[in-house]
Amino acid sequence: MPVEGMVAVGAGLAVGLAGIGAGLGEQGIGAAAVGAMAEDPDFFGRGLLMTVIPETIVIFGLVISFLLMFI
Amino acid sequence: MAGIFKRLIGTKPSEWAYVVSRVRVMSRKLIPADEYNKLLNMELDEVIRYLEESEYKKEIDELGFKYSGLTLIDYALSLNLSRTYNKLIRISKGVPRDLISAYLKRYDIWNILNIIRGKMYNFPQEEIEGTLIYAGEYDEEFFKTLLIKETIEEIAKAFEGTPFYPALEKIVRVCPMSEFEDDLYKIYYNSLAGIKADTLDMKYFIDFIKMEVDIKNIKSILRLKSEGASVDEIMPKIIPRGLQINEDEARKLSALEWDELLKSLEGYWFWEEIKDSVDGAELSKIEAMLDKLWAKKVLSKSHSFPLSVLPVMAFILLKKIEVDNLRIIARGKSAGMDTENIKEQLVIV
Repeated sequence: MPVEGMVAVGAGLAVGLAGIGAGLGEQGIGAAAVGAMAEDPDFFGRGLLMTVIPETIVIFGLVISFLLMFI
Repeated sequence: MAGIFKRLIGTKPSEWAYVVSRVRVMSRKLIPADEYNKLLNMELDEVIRYLEESEYKKEIDELGFKYSGLTLIDYALSLNLSRTYNKLIRISKGVPRDLISAYLKRYDIWNILNIIRGKMYNFPQEEIEGTLIYAGEYDEEFFKTLLIKETIEEIAKAFEGTPFYPALEKIVRVCPMSEFEDDLYKIYYNSLAGIKADTLDMKYFIDFIKMEVDIKNIKSILRLKSEGASVDEIMPKIIPRGLQINEDEARKLSALEWDELLKSLEGYWFWEEIKDSVDGAELSKIEAMLDKLWAKKVLSKSHSFPLSVLPVMAFILLKKIEVDNLRIIARGKSAGMDTENIKEQLVIV
């Protein structure tokens, strides 16, 4: 496989694996946030914030994939 | 290595995270320790009004048109406890649900005992029903059919094929009520402590059960020992499979004199923290100390293992303590006891 092809696979893996990691991280946080909200709706804001924190990992993955593909 | 991996895989964080976070929010709504001082200075009517503005509002409103005073508080507390525990089962699934349901089976025993006691002493059906807590395996309908039954034989027959049947068969053949109660609790604890601990969740749960058995056993030993009971009288009351107090340990401890017994308890997990306050204390106070220590221990363990069954167990325990405390305050007030005496009976964590 030419080097460009391997770079594209690497870029895909960077986003894909980061997405899987974020998903695994979010499963517990999301469940806990929904649980807390079910008991007390005031937890909505904090719950949402906590749930999206692992999403930053995907952004890192995305940055890496951009670096690989375009720089 | 494979074992550790299997154990880690066995726990599903999202299942626990959901239940535990709901339980944590529910725990925040429990009556705080400093509120008890306020409650102790209230009259019975004021206690009812206080409950009406708390988590017990729904039950007080529902039963308020039918009952009043102490009866209203008693029935409302039982109903609230049933609903809270049922909610725990409703909101959980998978392993959490299995473990919570298994633990709450103790309320089946509670209900069986209350129905049989009530029938023995000819209490009205309504009065027995008010004491029942429908949180175990059997539902409200089942216990209502038991309440209609005339004799204890008929009640025992309804449990044919269940683990409780041998004990119920014994009570039909007229054994003392205390022996019957011991038998039922032995069946219950044996079935729980006998579960195979193949995942971390199970291990935490079984350790919790075994520690609870230790507390129950030491309370039985201390109570019977203070009444001058012999080893043979104490041993039938001992529940096997405790964490530190198994049958052999219990036999050893039961054979000792009171002072030696207190001395040899040093080194047990429950004794370290209370040993300094035990000297010269009344038995009821030692029992209250043990209850408080147990609740504190479960609470601190629940903080150490947040994604496990322990926070749920801590809530179940604290809710029961709250209901018991409110009941003690209500009964004490209606009997005209003074505040200090009532306060001594409370378990404030």
